[in-house]
Amino acid sequence: MNTNEFLSMAWRFNSLLLVLAGLACGGYFIAFGGRGRPGYFVAAGIIFVLALASPLGALADGYLFSAHMIQHILFLLIVPALLLLSLPRSFQLPAWLHVVTYPVLAWVAGVGAMWLWHAPILCNAASVSSRVFALQTTSLILMGSLFWWQIIAPRESDRLSPAAGIAYLFTACVACSVLGMILTFAPVSLCPAYQHPADQLGLLGTIRGQWGLTSERDQQIGGLLMWVPMCLIYATAILAQFARFHADAPQMEKHHA
Amino acid sequence: MNGTTTVTMFRDAVLDPAKRAHYRLAWLSTVDHKRIAVLYLMTALVFFVIGGMEAFFIRLQLAVPNNHLLHPDTFNQLFTMHGTTMLFLVAMPALFGLVNYVLPLQIGARDMAFPRLNAFGFWCVPLGGILLHFSVLAGGAPAVGWFAYTPLSLTPYSSLLGVDYWAISLFVLGTGSISFAVNVVATVVSLRGPGMTMRRLPLFTWINFVNAFIILMALPILNAALAMLLVDRQLSGHFFLPLGGGSPILWQHIFWAFGHPEVYILALPAFGIISELIPVFSRKPIFGYEFVAGSSVAIAVLSMGVWAHHMFTVGMGRTMDLFFVIASMLISIPTGVKVLNWTATMIGGRIQFRVPMLYAIAFLLQFLCAGLTGISHASAALDWQTKNSYFLVAHFHFVAVGAIVFAILGGIQYWFPKMSGRMLSESLGKWTFWLMTIGFNLTFIIQHFLGLLGMPRRVYTYPDLPHWGWMNMLSTSGVFFMSAASLILVWNILTSFFRGKIAGDNPWNAWTLEWATTSPPPHENFLALPPIHSRRPLWDLANPDRPDPVVGDDQVVLPNHNKVGILSFIFSEAGFFGVLILAYLYFYVHPQPGPTAKELEVGRTLVFTVCLFASSFTFWRAETALHLKRHVLMLGWLGLTIILGAVFLVGQVTEYWKLFQSGVEVGTNVFATAFFTLTGFHGLHVFIGLIALLIFLWLGWMRDLVAGKGSGFAFQAVGYYWHFVDVVWVFVLFTVYILPLIK
Repeated sequence: MNTNEFLSMAWRFNSLLLVLAGLACGGYFIAFGGRGRPGYFVAAGIIFVLALASPLGALADGYLFSAHMIQHILFLLIVPALLLLSLPRSFQLPAWLHVVTYPVLAWVAGVGAMWLWHAPILCNAASVSSRVFALQTTSLILMGSLFWWQIIAPRESDRLSPAAGIAYLFTACVACSVLGMILTFAPVSLCPAYQHPADQLGLLGTIRGQWGLTSERDQQIGGLLMWVPMCLIYATAILAQFARFHADAPQMEKHHA
Repeated sequence: MNGTTTVTMFRDAVLDPAKRAHYRLAWLSTVDHKRIAVLYLMTALVFFVIGGMEAFFIRLQLAVPNNHLLHPDTFNQLFTMHGTTMLFLVAMPALFGLVNYVLPLQIGARDMAFPRLNAFGFWCVPLGGILLHFSVLAGGAPAVGWFAYTPLSLTPYSSLLGVDYWAISLFVLGTGSISFAVNVVATVVSLRGPGMTMRRLPLFTWINFVNAFIILMALPILNAALAMLLVDRQLSGHFFLPLGGGSPILWQHIFWAFGHPEVYILALPAFGIISELIPVFSRKPIFGYEFVAGSSVAIAVLSMGVWAHHMFTVGMGRTMDLFFVIASMLISIPTGVKVLNWTATMIGGRIQFRVPMLYAIAFLLQFLCAGLTGISHASAALDWQTKNSYFLVAHFHFVAVGAIVFAILGGIQYWFPKMSGRMLSESLGKWTFWLMTIGFNLTFIIQHFLGLLGMPRRVYTYPDLPHWGWMNMLSTSGVFFMSAASLILVWNILTSFFRGKIAGDNPWNAWTLEWATTSPPPHENFLALPPIHSRRPLWDLANPDRPDPVVGDDQVVLPNHNKVGILSFIFSEAGFFGVLILAYLYFYVHPQPGPTAKELEVGRTLVFTVCLFASSFTFWRAETALHLKRHVLMLGWLGLTIILGAVFLVGQVTEYWKLFQSGVEVGTNVFATAFFTLTGFHGLHVFIGLIALLIFLWLGWMRDLVAGKGSGFAFQAVGYYWHFVDVVWVFVLFTVYILPLIK
């Protein structure tokens, strides 16, 4: 299969996925109606479906570690952030769920998700078994939501202060950089399933030959994706915290007046 | 709100003048931030002369082709010493000096948070400088470049002691810089005057506050690298020597992980100076305060992630190059934002072309050039062609001299009246400025073209190729202008100090707090502070009918400075151990013949690990007992903490002994090198913690330890350190002992 064939044929909209997405949209409109910000929700849904059903999903499914890393970044950082942004301003968690909003716990969840799922055993299992993969995807979105709650919870009072937010994001950035460095410089495959893909689409020749992606280079790209662009997402959030730091007081003044 | 009411400062703790009269003679023992600042600046000036002489001889040697004025090895020594001196002994002390003088004044503080630590930080500079230059007597200065690439800097290729002195000297200087940064963070967070909220900080203070974090992140990385280099050189380690499985490239990664942020450590304070000068001499508030402040944060964050662009020519592979090209290009956004803000501040302003402003304008133009050539180096393809040529030499001198030195000179001209009470001569200042500008541009503009013609850098001489001769001669001619400028500057400082025009409190009609006190300020800095509601309190004071808009509310939150200080220190220590752990991991995944982690005895380690963790618990109990004023109980728990810590150390010594018995030493293979370095440095930290705890045991015994007082806060701070050392052990334990068990 050459590149063009692959790009046109590797779309795998399975019905379960579409039904799930449809149900989620329906649920969102029933729960929040016009109060939320549906644009964000739809964006989250589209990114989620595309990450799984587009050629990216096909590549991540046993071919390329780097494609799997892009999926991870989308599931852990992008989709949960959009989901939280789609909630109405007044949204708050039910009381019994407050236990999950401790900053340390949330940080460990958000950063730990990355470290945990890149332990060779788990990484392998997720790329071999579709059940483990489903578990992985769900857990990434949940842990990502937990992580972002501290930064972009709908109500200002649920968020960390800007200074604490900067420390929270900076340490997360360092932790993911370190893992990225380890992946980049590791001489051995940390996710062996990607070293010898079960070539179901007959694409391996194109990947290794035409695209020039050996399994070593593939893992290096994966590591670098986590090291550099993923950290830049945190860095962007840090700047947003800084903007908040300089913006919140005038609002408070307006409030007092 | 903006009337003339003043806030009286606490004066109870200030010594009365008669009692501190002897300080006038005792500059050596001073802990006053203003005097320490002057000492910093004087030291920088001395080394500026030395580093300048080195540059002078380098340029003389290169003035004509096939020159044999200097021996090749002497030339290598000169450019190594020139680079090291100018960065670590001139630029950093000069900037730290200005910060030390101005920052506490700008926030209405009486001194830095830790005056003795401040003095320690300063005295590291002369000590480091002496160590570095002592190498000349000990067999020859280092001749390996300021970056000391391995394996050239290892014993087989540099067998004399020069590199060892270089490494120890930088270690001392790095330690001094870290203590300075700890002090800056604690001062800004904990010692701000009434109304000086974080959102109202003058930009010089804000930028240096951010810069302190870069220092805390970057210098420990250098210290770790130097420790590893010294282990290799002195204990026959294998970190960087390919023969024993070490990796020379690893040195470059670690060095540039420090080296790139180092550029910003020098550039950000310069940005801070410029951000003060341009508004004052344009008679306008800064355009886009938040963007200048925020772009500094962006630079700080990005600075840590782009070091690999120094290594495009190493051969890291296209993949890695690509990512770092993109990341490096991003840096141009926040720096561009700054240039835009400075320029926009000048637009529509009533610009006064006084000497500091001339430096600021020259800075803007030269920094723009430096930035443009910088972007060209961010592109790996172009970088391959120009990296090892004079084009790069020209680029980084445009940063280091054209931007940083010009900002320092502008800052000195601007703040000298505050320090001395007298103005520097404006006409001599203009002579210095123009000679410096002409000389600098003569020397370095042409080097861009020399580089593009193919002249490599780091060569002691060159053949007589077309154009190379006259271009180099032109470049050398600029040096004479710069030397003349420097001489006039020194003359200006000397004469103005004794006979300059009396400055008065606020000679420039500036708006920040340092101009609200006398010149020079009294020992305690302020008798009273003006009310602070905006970013320009002195403008508000002078123009009560049209004050600046109020920024935020007046509420100032000041955490305890001991806590802030120790947390900043721990932050830096985390970086140090982070590097050692990553280096260990790097060699763990590249195993070599010989002993491996599998030979370590995990059982015994777990036993003494339990002791270490238990000591954190007992320390916590001691703290609780202190708060409950249960004195004997407190001593008991503290004593138990010390015993548990000591047991841990005994366990570690036993482990080392057993390993030595079985023939495993630092030099055995790269695993042993990494293992002993990592656990050894952790053990050293436990040992230092034990000494601190013993001091507190003694204080407690003497009944000098009281909760809620100074000693109580210090006790809490030592507790943070002790817990941190335990947390580090969690990571060491996992990496070294547990990881090999998982498979």
